[in-house]
Amino acid sequence: MQKKDLGLFVLILVVGAITAFLNPVFLSPVNLGNMANLVGLFGIFAIGIGVVIITGGIDLSVGSMFALIGVIFIDLMTNHGMAWQLVLPVAIGLGICFGVIHGVLVTRFNMQPFVVTLCGLLIYRGAARYYMNDATIGFGYAGGFETLEWLAAGRSFGVPHTFIAFVIVAIVMGIVLHRSVFGRYLFAVGKNEEAARYSGIPTNLVIAAAYVISGALAGLSAVFLAFYTFSIQPSAHGSFYELYGIAAAVLGGCSLRGGEGSIMGIALGTVLLQVLQNLVNLLGIPTSLNFAVMGTVILLGVLTDQQLQRRRARLLAVKAHQAKTARPQPAGA
Amino acid sequence: MQRRHLMTAVSAVLAATIGFGSAEAQDKPVLAFVTNAAADFWTIGRAGVMAAGEELDGYTTEMHIVSEATAAEQRRIIDDLLTRGVAGITVSVIDPANSRDLLNRAAEQAVLFTSDSDAPDTDRMLYIGTDNVAAGEQAGELIKAALPDGGDVMLFVGTMGAANAQERVQGIRNVLEGGNVNIIDVRTDEVDFARAKRNVEDTLTTYPDIDGLVGLWSYNTPQIVEAVRAAGKVGEVKVIGFDEDPVTLRGIADGIVEATVVQQPYEFGYQSMMLMAQALDGDTSFIPENELMIVPTRVIDASNVDDFRAELQKLLAQ
Amino acid sequence: MSEPFLQLSGIGKTYPGVTALADVDLAVAPGEVVGLIGENGAGKSTLMKILGGVVAPDSGRIVIDGQTHDALTVPQSLAAGIAFVHQELNLFENLDVAANVFIGREPRSPFLKLIDQRRLHAAVRPLLERLKVDFTAETQVATLSIAQRQMVEIAKALSLDARLIIMDEPTSSLTVSETERLLGVIAELKAQGVAVIYITHRLNEVKACADRVVCLRDGVLAGKLAKAEIEHAAMIRLMIGRDLKALYTPPGRATSPGLEVSGLRTILFPDRAVDLEVRRGEILGLAGLIGSGRTELARALFGIDPPLAGSIRLDGKAITVNAPRQAIAQGIYLVPEDRKRSGLVLEFPVRVNVTLADVLGHARGWLISASRETTTAERQKQRLNIRAPSVETEVITLSGGNQQKVVLAKWLAMEPAVVIFDEPTRGIDVGAKSEIYAILRQLADAGVAILMISSDMEEVIGVSDRIAVMHEGRISGILSSRDSFTETNVLELAVNSPAQAAAQPAAA
Repeated sequence: MQKKDLGLFVLILVVGAITAFLNPVFLSPVNLGNMANLVGLFGIFAIGIGVVIITGGIDLSVGSMFALIGVIFIDLMTNHGMAWQLVLPVAIGLGICFGVIHGVLVTRFNMQPFVVTLCGLLIYRGAARYYMNDATIGFGYAGGFETLEWLAAGRSFGVPHTFIAFVIVAIVMGIVLHRSVFGRYLFAVGKNEEAARYSGIPTNLVIAAAYVISGALAGLSAVFLAFYTFSIQPSAHGSFYELYGIAAAVLGGCSLRGGEGSIMGIALGTVLLQVLQNLVNLLGIPTSLNFAVMGTVILLGVLTDQQLQRRRARLLAVKAHQAKTARPQPAGA
Repeated sequence: MQRRHLMTAVSAVLAATIGFGSAEAQDKPVLAFVTNAAADFWTIGRAGVMAAGEELDGYTTEMHIVSEATAAEQRRIIDDLLTRGVAGITVSVIDPANSRDLLNRAAEQAVLFTSDSDAPDTDRMLYIGTDNVAAGEQAGELIKAALPDGGDVMLFVGTMGAANAQERVQGIRNVLEGGNVNIIDVRTDEVDFARAKRNVEDTLTTYPDIDGLVGLWSYNTPQIVEAVRAAGKVGEVKVIGFDEDPVTLRGIADGIVEATVVQQPYEFGYQSMMLMAQALDGDTSFIPENELMIVPTRVIDASNVDDFRAELQKLLAQ
Repeated sequence: MSEPFLQLSGIGKTYPGVTALADVDLAVAPGEVVGLIGENGAGKSTLMKILGGVVAPDSGRIVIDGQTHDALTVPQSLAAGIAFVHQELNLFENLDVAANVFIGREPRSPFLKLIDQRRLHAAVRPLLERLKVDFTAETQVATLSIAQRQMVEIAKALSLDARLIIMDEPTSSLTVSETERLLGVIAELKAQGVAVIYITHRLNEVKACADRVVCLRDGVLAGKLAKAEIEHAAMIRLMIGRDLKALYTPPGRATSPGLEVSGLRTILFPDRAVDLEVRRGEILGLAGLIGSGRTELARALFGIDPPLAGSIRLDGKAITVNAPRQAIAQGIYLVPEDRKRSGLVLEFPVRVNVTLADVLGHARGWLISASRETTTAERQKQRLNIRAPSVETEVITLSGGNQQKVVLAKWLAMEPAVVIFDEPTRGIDVGAKSEIYAILRQLADAGVAILMISSDMEEVIGVSDRIAVMHEGRISGILSSRDSFTETNVLELAVNSPAQAAAQPAAA
């Protein structure tokens, strides 16, 4: 665990301890289970967004993807009776397709990620509403996918499957990001794309892959979310969720300038966001203050982190100065 | 050069859209219904609006869904309709307090009704809809009946800014006041389904002994049903709902939901169109003194849920 | 010579753990050009920051026109007529020349306080005339060359009624002829009574323009030279405290065919073809004016901007390079001009930078083996004498010379066939320079073909085995014997005046 992540972890413990002190229900197995479920739901796509942010990009489209993939997913299952073994790959495949489109537009056509994914946000939302003619779609009375429902919304030993899926995704992505060659490329491209290109790294491929990963994880999340809400209102489903993902990534130490961040950080960021929402309900804080609480904590968190980093940078500068002045005689003399 | 091409393209598209719109408007006078959100409720309402359109030879009827459920979007749609010169508008007003000028302007230029959510301080000709206080009182009675020994209940709604939310809560309070049923709080979710569900989950954990849950908006009750089922509290906690979401109705059939208070959106759509046409033809005798036309709410419970579902399916199939 | 108007005495400055300056004296008289030399980290920047009022000294006095100060503030420094022409130019490319000269001090119109464009341009025009520049007050800065931009900076200094202009490495990005012009401007300024402090690593420029030389070493005054004493050797001795070995080391082996380029066309000069051979075992210097297409040639050979036409052969075999990956796979490496932007990921540790081009070679399956990386990095650190506390140190904290060695380490850790160096020692101090030249020679002797692009005449002449000169997108001539290596010969080819007998015209 990096120092940055440790700070976040401590913050979660402090907030958790205060909440538990004020309302012991916070630590009850039921509440922890519910929270784990939500952490799973919001954490999976937050990791995807985090990967994109590490390349120096942004993905604003995932919330709308949830609506579009969600309505198609439910429609195929309930109204067309397709087997879930088929529909699940379709959902994730749709996410991958959108990711490929974003990646190609960003790398091949040199468009700004903000613009590309903002247009995605608008297009997918519109497509979802058009697809459903603005009506809400739900699983309703349909049956035949009990296995998938159990997989997506069930629990094993009291642990929600969403959370298990999240942990698996986090571990796999953790290894990919922090141990694999691809991960090294990703960070290098995010920090200095030109130097990466001059080192023979296929920068366009790496960046596009980040959007594909984000799309795939969004597709997976869309399925989990559909089973969580059980019905989807295309105009509102998943609206603003991309911002939860971005918030979790930023809180977890991803820099919007790229090249920085960790899976552990993103995971902890998601946990903190969910703890905050939970405590609003548990402590009887007016629900209308929900966003304000979240915003305040993110602001303070990032502010503190930045101050600490600036101090570190100053220390480095002094060290660098010392290294340059206190230089021994050249060995070649 | 490129910019010029773009301009040409944009103006072509604009011209096409405007031309299309005005051509349509020139044919027959238009009667429009503007909703306050995108919901199944209005899918049923749309059936009423369209049915009226079939019956009315001299008018075209339109349904406009305010999908983002914001006052700003609703304002834009109404402005556009007025610019097009429609003959009549029925609005489910999102923000009555701050829409007065707009609505009065609309009333000057066209026949203006309100439906579902009213704006009583304006020059609108008629309100067609539910008396939400009465509907709230109906729900209050259902709660009392479900909890004869009293207990604690929690209310769930999208946002308390909407008049119908306030009125329903008021109606419930009117009935429960002084009784042995205590309202803990009202939880809001800004129409985010996942948040609506987590509000229920968190309530069930914070108040493990809670006796009743009330969903005020159509999607709230389905989320309550799912959360109660997942928490294994079926039967322990009584659920009262509003509106006719399929999951709510199924919940009644399955015994998770006691009862739901349903409005008649089909009537809202149908009546508003028919009466606007009548008013435009010069006959306003149907408008009562208080300018309110109340379409009564119905209680759906285990005894009549099957009939109601069949009826609904027929309406939606049209 | 007139009396000094500015006198520093006993100036000292300590940072936590470091003495940046100790007991430094400096005096400047009107119309005097002082050459300030010293290796990187010798304290030149700190001294200049004290003059600019940015840094306050811990000890010593500053006397300006008879008034004594303990420290200067920025306004005081400006009022005293001290102006800077920075190494990194601080201009707004999106504005015109006049707007840049008066940025922050725009003349305002009486009505609405808008910018009074007419007065603004009228004020700038005489300044530009004084400098005899070839652009106008209305020219957009984005269209100017680096040398021209420097003139804008100088005009800015003059607009402040500067009595002393401090130029920090003004010629590091200039070509030979542009440098000549700048030296001419300095002479003019001097004639008009403006004093100049000239900071540079290029000693022949000091010799050309300075009235006297002041040398700093490790924060103390290492010595002063009067006009007559300004000689290369003397300056180097002062800077590094010893004599520098001669630059040139002859090759230790016979050359063999390496990289052959024929008919190569780049995006900058699509109608000019380049023919060039870089043999294994030799260092081929590539000289020319900035904008003559040298960097574009390097970028084309490395696959950044793939060549439009032409053939490239390596060891007799035809190869294609459409991406850096392909070039790297063939053993063609580029040490780029701007190492901070293109050569390094500054915030990453030495280890990661050294292995960046060959991460796959340090991985088992798809997972990186940190221990393999460390082994490679440690070996390169030792081999190239990279002065860093450890291989986990962030590159950003290293000095320019050591950063450049990290870039070299990245390529030397692999198997180079051809290495292209674009301005290999820009901004690097004398000591580290000679180390880098030694590495170049070692590489060549190991059978690598070296193409060294350089604008530093000393470097081109002192290090190369052969010199190719570029002019407007093609090779205007090749100097093959060291006897023909003179500044005049190189310069004539660079401006494409008829080549001397010593130069063989390049094969067309």
